[in-house]
Amino acid sequence: MDRRISNLADQLAAGLIARREFLRKAAVITGGTAAGLTVLRRMAHAQAKNKLRVWLFKSFVTAGNDVLAKQIEAWGKERGVDVEIDWATFGDREQKTVASIEAGNPPDLAEMNIYGPMRYKAVLRDVTKVASALASAKGGMLPFAERSMKVDGKYLGVPRYAMITVFYIRRDIMEAKGLKPPKLYDPDVVEFARKTMDPAKDLWGFGQTLNRSDDGDGYMQNILWSYGGGVWDKDGKPSLATTFREQNLKALQFSVDTIQKYKIQPPGVMGWTDVSNNEAYLAGKLVTTNNGASLYYAMVQKKHALADKTLLVLTPGGPAGSLVGASCYNWAIFQKSKQAELAEDLIRWLEDEKHFKEYMQVSIGQAGPVYKGRADDPYWKSDPNFEAILQNILRSVNLGYPGPMTPAAAEVQGQKILTDMAGRVVTGGLSPDAALKEAHARVEEIWKMRGKG
Amino acid sequence: MAISTARLPGTVRSGAKRPVGLARWLGPDWRLGFLFVLPIVLLVLALVAYPFAYAVYLSMTRKYVGLPPVFVGFENYVKLTWDGFFRRAVQNSFVFTFASVACKLILGMAMALVLTSNIRWRSLWTGVLLIPWVAPTVVSALNFLWIYDYSLGVLNYLLVHVFRILPQGVGWLSEPGTAMASVIAVNVWRGFPFFGISFLAGMKAIPAEMYEAAAVDGANALQRFRHVTVPGLKNIMMIVMLLSTIWTFNDFTIVYILTKGGPGGATQVLPVLTYEIAFGAQRLGEAIAVALYMLPAMAAVIIVLARYMRKGRGR
Amino acid sequence: MKRALAYAVLLALVLVVVFPFYWMIVTSLKGEDQMRSLVSMFWPSPFVLDNYRQLLARTEFTAWFRNSVFVAVSSTFLATAVGTIGAYGLARLQFLGRGFMASATLITYLVPPSILFIPLYSQIRNLGLADSLTGLIVAYPSFTVPFVTWLLMGYFESIPEELEQAAMIDGATRFGAFWRVVLPLAAPGVLAAGLYAFTQAWNEFLYALVFITDVKLRTLPVGLSTFITGDVYGWGFLMAGAVLTTLPVIAAYIYLQKYMVEGLTAGSVKG
Repeated sequence: MDRRISNLADQLAAGLIARREFLRKAAVITGGTAAGLTVLRRMAHAQAKNKLRVWLFKSFVTAGNDVLAKQIEAWGKERGVDVEIDWATFGDREQKTVASIEAGNPPDLAEMNIYGPMRYKAVLRDVTKVASALASAKGGMLPFAERSMKVDGKYLGVPRYAMITVFYIRRDIMEAKGLKPPKLYDPDVVEFARKTMDPAKDLWGFGQTLNRSDDGDGYMQNILWSYGGGVWDKDGKPSLATTFREQNLKALQFSVDTIQKYKIQPPGVMGWTDVSNNEAYLAGKLVTTNNGASLYYAMVQKKHALADKTLLVLTPGGPAGSLVGASCYNWAIFQKSKQAELAEDLIRWLEDEKHFKEYMQVSIGQAGPVYKGRADDPYWKSDPNFEAILQNILRSVNLGYPGPMTPAAAEVQGQKILTDMAGRVVTGGLSPDAALKEAHARVEEIWKMRGKG
Repeated sequence: MAISTARLPGTVRSGAKRPVGLARWLGPDWRLGFLFVLPIVLLVLALVAYPFAYAVYLSMTRKYVGLPPVFVGFENYVKLTWDGFFRRAVQNSFVFTFASVACKLILGMAMALVLTSNIRWRSLWTGVLLIPWVAPTVVSALNFLWIYDYSLGVLNYLLVHVFRILPQGVGWLSEPGTAMASVIAVNVWRGFPFFGISFLAGMKAIPAEMYEAAAVDGANALQRFRHVTVPGLKNIMMIVMLLSTIWTFNDFTIVYILTKGGPGGATQVLPVLTYEIAFGAQRLGEAIAVALYMLPAMAAVIIVLARYMRKGRGR
Repeated sequence: MKRALAYAVLLALVLVVVFPFYWMIVTSLKGEDQMRSLVSMFWPSPFVLDNYRQLLARTEFTAWFRNSVFVAVSSTFLATAVGTIGAYGLARLQFLGRGFMASATLITYLVPPSILFIPLYSQIRNLGLADSLTGLIVAYPSFTVPFVTWLLMGYFESIPEELEQAAMIDGATRFGAFWRVVLPLAAPGVLAAGLYAFTQAWNEFLYALVFITDVKLRTLPVGLSTFITGDVYGWGFLMAGAVLTTLPVIAAYIYLQKYMVEGLTAGSVKG
């Protein structure tokens, strides 16, 4: 073979030139003869690698991101696939995804948050095969994962790891006052806060914003459930101001009271965003707060002074128990993808226990289990604080509980209706009853528009 | 006399030649003229008009992400008109825009007056005062988020520990009253240099003789300002205010980064609402309807203003 | 304005303008621990260059910087060229539709990028320009050209027609007159317009976010935003990036601002 052609072939293999260019240049060399061209076409085909576009969330667990990237590259090398990875942060993922779907250009594989399968169900591929295979190999999916990944009877996402909120306590302050972790919000948390706080020193007993944020909305969901209430009933119908009115009212009143009546919260808490309670806690201004494990990760990784002084416990409960909503990241494949099989293969690779363990080990408790099998891993015993994370995950419920997870439920969360409701009481001066009714009307509207699925 | 005595677009020059034949209909310079504006027209058609037309179409559909659009006529717009949250957003948008523009007007004027006074190192100060306008908005918004922070922010630190004006920090972004004022402040900080530099240019074009004449007539500084400066700047003021109103009305970044529309929707403005409905609720048709709702009103304002300017000039 | 009053107002304005920027710089030089406390608020103690070091060594910051420069310069070039030529046509030449087009220039701003970006992304993709800097270079003039055109229209109108007519009598074509007589006189205006376009392009976030996927092709604002991961903000890191992103533009303005002012006003030609 002409050396020039083989050079070109090498270039093509190395990805330095595109197939078209290869064909063009080589055609010039062969003089464009028919025979020459067919040979070239066959060569070009053989050389062209498969390409897979993968979108990942940039987690705050930077070590985890690195592990994941490495694993994906290793897979790419092994399978001879050219993998293109895009990292996005929480803020921008939705914009990019929507734009790319509308432009007909979504990636092959995407890491999604818990609302992903529901939100994008119109364009996602059925991954029941992969999901059930993995689930049965790993002891079955945890209930909340099962319910969120399954849409209209089929799995649209393969769950990867769970995230949960936990209750943070300053152990040193607690022990200094000879107290024990509170079990119920009312009255335990209130008492606990009152006994440990010191406003003169800018130390507050409880830091939980009711502002529009994931923290705020998550807390509202949890407290409604813990009082036996909720946004939806078991059939997925709106029940804020109807079926569960009593319970919701009590829950809402309690939450508002923590700011207005009991005054255990720092002033300005209504202006907090998701970052603020982290910062306040790290600055030593809070005795307790609710947050995802991200805060713990940040402390341990940066060897923060408070890391040793922090105790993680199960989220306190209400009269109906302590119910929390978990979230999980999952893998989803887009219908438009021409590499669906490759994508499924990659999922299997990454979820293989050996690989996942590698990821989990560096996550400092972030990568909670979504399969029962993973929950038994000794890793979760390695730090006493992990127990709270694990236990919270194991008993968590899905969004929409006691009903199924629906697009309407996802939208209500997306529009932060619950925090708006609380905000209307605290800063808007509405009575809890009025705010409840107002929020219910909004929920009903969304439900009418979205139907049940 | 560029920006200083600039007109609103649309005012026609006098002194045309008499056209003949085809040229009578298309204009005497039509060949060259079309050629000159071809690039712009292509650009605007391809990158603005076409997407805009598609957006208008989408606003009249029920469109969820990933699903094909279903034409519903004006249903989205009708629904919005009765929606309490939309109305509140409209109200907030108006408050946000007009308060911001008013403040920018005042500060911009102050900036221009200062920079045309008898001070040293004028160039340096001009450059420095342009900083807010020149910095990326995302950066400035994040910066202020950090400054307004309740526990660690420097604003509260200054007020409580340094100047000791307040006993305790304020949740700037947490009370409706202060939240709106806080985001307005950031918008004003970011935008006033544009006013300033435009007014500055405008003032430079006012002939010195007019000030001298006024001084001779016995006018003091304030009167000179009222009777010479302000009229001379009228045109540029109108234009800058118009542009700024449009830009401020459409501003998304500042409110989104600082409050995301909270607390309890107190700073929810139309662009942020659009974003939420598009990406939170995934209802694209409705989201675009929100964004386009005020468009006819704003376009009408521009047209009315253009007519007023044309009449008022008559040169 | 009386001098004393002028200086007082100037001081106030400068403080208000400079303080946040100063704060940004100071934060970028603080270490993690100092950030969490209120110790020595206004001065880094200890003085830490880590944020900058990490930024340049361990992220793609330099690539992002290059990308931003490339995109900003190219799109400015394109926008200024298109806008200048168009403005001349609208200011000087008589043809059908001229009045309408002149009025319509600013109307394009009524349509915010926050809606346009979705259909625009489809367009860019159809042109095969998705995930490429060229896509941005083509898209950016959509929001800079109107202002450039409007600015230069006014500028051209202030230059007396006699100059071109004199040139054309001497045998120059219309275009020749434009190129050799009018354009040099309009240089400050063109420069001012160019500065504006450059600033807008440099700071643009939304299109850059959506149109580009490849990490190595990101521009600065988007790159910076990726430092925000979840609810943990690395303020020092973020501010370091912010400072380095803002400095070039500020430097350009401090150096060129007098052209900007000049460009916004008549040159030496008073009409």
